[in-house]
Amino acid sequence: MSADEFDPEIERLFARSPHLPDAALFTAQVEQRLQKGSRVRFLALGLAGVIGGVVAVRETMSVNFGGGDGVVAGDALGQGIRSTSLSVQSTVQGGLDQFGLGGLELGSMGGMQLFWIAAGALIALAAAGVMKLSQEM
Amino acid sequence: MTQPLIDRHDVELAALAAAGGRREFGELVRRHGSAVRGLLRRMGAQASLADDIAQDAFIQAFERCAEFRGEGTFAAWVKRIAARLYIKRVAKEARYIAEAEQEDVAPAADQAGLMDLDEALKTLSEPERLCVSLCHGAGMAHPEIAAALNLPLGTVKSHVKRGLDKLRARLQPQSAQSVGGTQHVG
Repeated sequence: MSADEFDPEIERLFARSPHLPDAALFTAQVEQRLQKGSRVRFLALGLAGVIGGVVAVRETMSVNFGGGDGVVAGDALGQGIRSTSLSVQSTVQGGLDQFGLGGLELGSMGGMQLFWIAAGALIALAAAGVMKLSQEM
Repeated sequence: MTQPLIDRHDVELAALAAAGGRREFGELVRRHGSAVRGLLRRMGAQASLADDIAQDAFIQAFERCAEFRGEGTFAAWVKRIAARLYIKRVAKEARYIAEAEQEDVAPAADQAGLMDLDEALKTLSEPERLCVSLCHGAGMAHPEIAAALNLPLGTVKSHVKRGLDKLRARLQPQSAQSVGGTQHVG
């Protein structure tokens, strides 16, 4: 058989899938890994969202209503909002204290601290990008 | 009424998987898992390593499913991902760089006295086996293989040629029979 005839033949042989007795197990393992991966991603995103949300709520409360006498003074609706905001704030504060984040005050941070936090986040993002790129290479 | 997964085309399943459909992707794994695992074994991977890499390849394929446009077959696309993962793995061990030819191993014959491709591949040296499998199993072009293995193009071509010569010598009787058989069908 010449090389020209043999090349398609060898490709045909390569295209034949071998019969592997544990094919079903393999499929189940891949499906399990996919499910686990999506669960971890869901949990991580959920946790990040909750923490971010809690911090955002707490910051919003302390900025808008913490010293908001001038904004809502003498107004029944304003008093209601303020009391609600105070109770929410205390709940949030309690939650943060539980996680050891009670002392966190983004507003009180200096410009330099915020700069380093932003720089750290950017470095982490760049490292993740490089890792992803190296995986694809 | 929704069409059962088993009746759906690979391209359709891949599109659904790209939208997050794990069940649809599971069907693709069921269809092509053995082909990908088989290719890795033919490339020289041990069974457990081949399975690990095949799993990683399918996970990566799921994450990149949106990139699959259906220009080639889905199986060929995943095979290329798996082949590249295997190359990365062996590159760490620098196994394929070894140019020393292995001693020709006497192949085991099956009951009919004919050898199958898997047995014939075992008679090739490691670089020959890898290059032939990448070329004819994963559908990679010679320059692509050279770049992936970091070998000169001429070296890759000679590995493929020598490997095919050896396979031809081993598989000739079987190939002649099966080619004769397919001619009658047409």
